[in-house]
Amino acid sequence: MRKRDLLLMANKNLWRRKARTILTCLGVVIGTASIVVMISLGIGLRVSMEKSMAQWGSLNIINVHPGMRYDENGNPTGEEKRMTDETVEELKAIPGVTAVSPVYNIDGEAQLGRKKGYLSIVGIDPAAMEELEFTVSHGRLLTPEDRFAIVAGSQVINNFWDERAARRGGGMMGEGPQQQDPAELLEQRIRLTIRNQAGNERKQNLFVVGILDETNMDRSWQVYGSIHDIKRMRDFMMQGANSSKQMLGPMAKEVIISGGGVMVSTGRASGSRGNRREDRSNDYNSIMVRTKDVAQTKEISKELRERGYNAWSMADSLEGIENTSRTMQAILGGIGGITLFVAALGITNTMIMSIYERTREIGIMKVIGASFADIRSIFLMEAALIGLFGGILGLGLSYGASEIINRISADYIQRGMGGPATNISVIPVWLAGFALVFSIFIGLAAGLYPASRAIRVSPMVAIRNE
Amino acid sequence: MSPKPILQAREIIKKYRIGTQAVSVLNGINLDIYHGEVVSILGKSGCGKTTFLNIAAGLERPTKGDIIIDGHYLNKISEKRMSAFRRKYIGFVFQLYNLIPSMNALENAILPMVFEGVPQKEREEKGRELLTIMGLGDRLKHKPNELSGGQRQRISLARAMINNPRIIFADEPTGNLDSRTTEEILNLLISTVRENGQTLLMVTHDLEVARHGDRIIEMVDGRIIN
Ligand SMILES: Nc1ncnc2c1ncn2[C@@H]1O[C@H](COP(=O)(O)OP(=O)(O)OP(=O)(O)O)[C@@H](O)[C@H]1O
Ligand SMILES: [Mg+2]
Repeated sequence: MRKRDLLLMANKNLWRRKARTILTCLGVVIGTASIVVMISLGIGLRVSMEKSMAQWGSLNIINVHPGMRYDENGNPTGEEKRMTDETVEELKAIPGVTAVSPVYNIDGEAQLGRKKGYLSIVGIDPAAMEELEFTVSHGRLLTPEDRFAIVAGSQVINNFWDERAARRGGGMMGEGPQQQDPAELLEQRIRLTIRNQAGNERKQNLFVVGILDETNMDRSWQVYGSIHDIKRMRDFMMQGANSSKQMLGPMAKEVIISGGGVMVSTGRASGSRGNRREDRSNDYNSIMVRTKDVAQTKEISKELRERGYNAWSMADSLEGIENTSRTMQAILGGIGGITLFVAALGITNTMIMSIYERTREIGIMKVIGASFADIRSIFLMEAALIGLFGGILGLGLSYGASEIINRISADYIQRGMGGPATNISVIPVWLAGFALVFSIFIGLAAGLYPASRAIRVSPMVAIRNE
Repeated sequence: MSPKPILQAREIIKKYRIGTQAVSVLNGINLDIYHGEVVSILGKSGCGKTTFLNIAAGLERPTKGDIIIDGHYLNKISEKRMSAFRRKYIGFVFQLYNLIPSMNALENAILPMVFEGVPQKEREEKGRELLTIMGLGDRLKHKPNELSGGQRQRISLARAMINNPRIIFADEPTGNLDSRTTEEILNLLISTVRENGQTLLMVTHDLEVARHGDRIIEMVDGRIIN
């Protein structure tokens, strides 16, 4: 039998009993629609969460800090993981890592014209800036040629206040910091004052070449400069530290003395700590790592924690949300599944009724040369078509329901928070395709038993009818 | 007549079990039918004619004995391969027409070709041609319940012959028709069979009908008596 004839015949048979076919379809319609809407809610929720997460910070960036591994009793085991050039190389070698930059942090008082403020400066590799997902709304990113140039986060401008104006305006204007235009900072000279541990002071002019846009809120209060410049300033700030380390010597001894009984081991421990502190003057504060995608971020930051580093990324927080969303999808999908199961029973029932009515017809077809495969195909095709029709209508219903849900929720969100509404029900193409394939599959599965009954009809029923 | 029979029945025995009692319907039937013959089986109601015809056509299995069609032992053909065998060798005309009510005259007549996998255009052409020969050229789109008994049986004849099977089996093909229509249908059936070089095995309780055959076989209580 040809496929086309099979399709036409099955379709025609179905519409011989319009009411029954439509009622049977209805089960599939409702089942499919509930599954699709439920899954779409899960997807929509996840998408809108990811969107708001992404506003807080990039999902592809891991911040790695020095760390320790601990045993189950909470005691540190092994050496502390430090932030050195070897660490940078180690991180670069991890598959899935696309960019790495060491980071130095310094802070100090700053002056912008008449305004005073406080700057927290992060020194990074200018060449890696673009790779590390820095994007500017004004100006440009740093280049390796820049000297004492900086790129400022969008909120940095709000760090500065005019003392005289504040005194004049007084409490009248309200205490809250006024929102200022981030672009005001562009191409401005900021004078930074840093002090070292010996009490010396140094002033350094910094030129603002770019303002970061607002995609990454976790960077909005910070200022970024070239790591070489920041290192130089940091070196200056550490200058006093040498003398303070010498002071630390006798202090360590004191610890040993007070340690008493365990003198040897304590002595060794503090001795090695002393050595390390000496080595550590050039250690980075942290290392910024960019990965290929969110999945890699999660995997790599987990891996780094296992290695003993202190690794943190936005994607880690996302994981909890994802788990919740996944559980919800499973529960909701399960409810739809039960509906579809009942719908499948409906199809089976309809097909069995249909076979009863058409027993004679099946017998005749066998006498005139229909094969087992022909008979089975006809009934399976009818069942699959019920599934498909139900699936198509169900999908239509899902789109309608999804639209309504999104409108209602948008209303709700806008009234409640005034924020931009995102769709909480999303039906991607794969879900639509999946729904159709699945509904056909349901029909086929429901038709298996009736079809096997149909092929067992004896050709004799065509002859001995009563 | 060719020396080798196209259909042979060897010691056919058929018993039905009703409760604990076994009813013997066919008691050892031997019969050879040759290519091109028109054979009538005549007998009283209940003597087992229909049972024999069904067994000969492979619709039912005998309790014992063999049916051999063109050298093929029917009991050696699996149920699965039987469909292809039927399409090639067996055309069946029922007493009660047994058309499919939802299909029109043309669709009913060409249904065997659908299972054969013949393309639509080709099979409709053939069906139209055959139904025109049967005198139904203007009734192609009619449903069975819009047609008379004689017209329905013509469709049934067309359906039995459309694949050009070697043997046509007909169980009381005119049992429900008046004498004039009976005459028309029988003439049509036999002339077409002869034209196509087919073989016809026909069952009836009516001597007038049986006389249309080349040979009459009489059956009494599940036995052949001549
Ligand atoms: N499935 C069956 N189970 C039990 N007995 C059966 C069955 N089929 C037929 N019989 C019996 O076999 C006998 C012969 O039946 P069959 O239909 O072959 O008769 P027939 O010669 O065709 O009669 P008619 O001319 O009335 O059609 C009958 O007595 C009938 O009761
Ligand atoms: Mg009979």
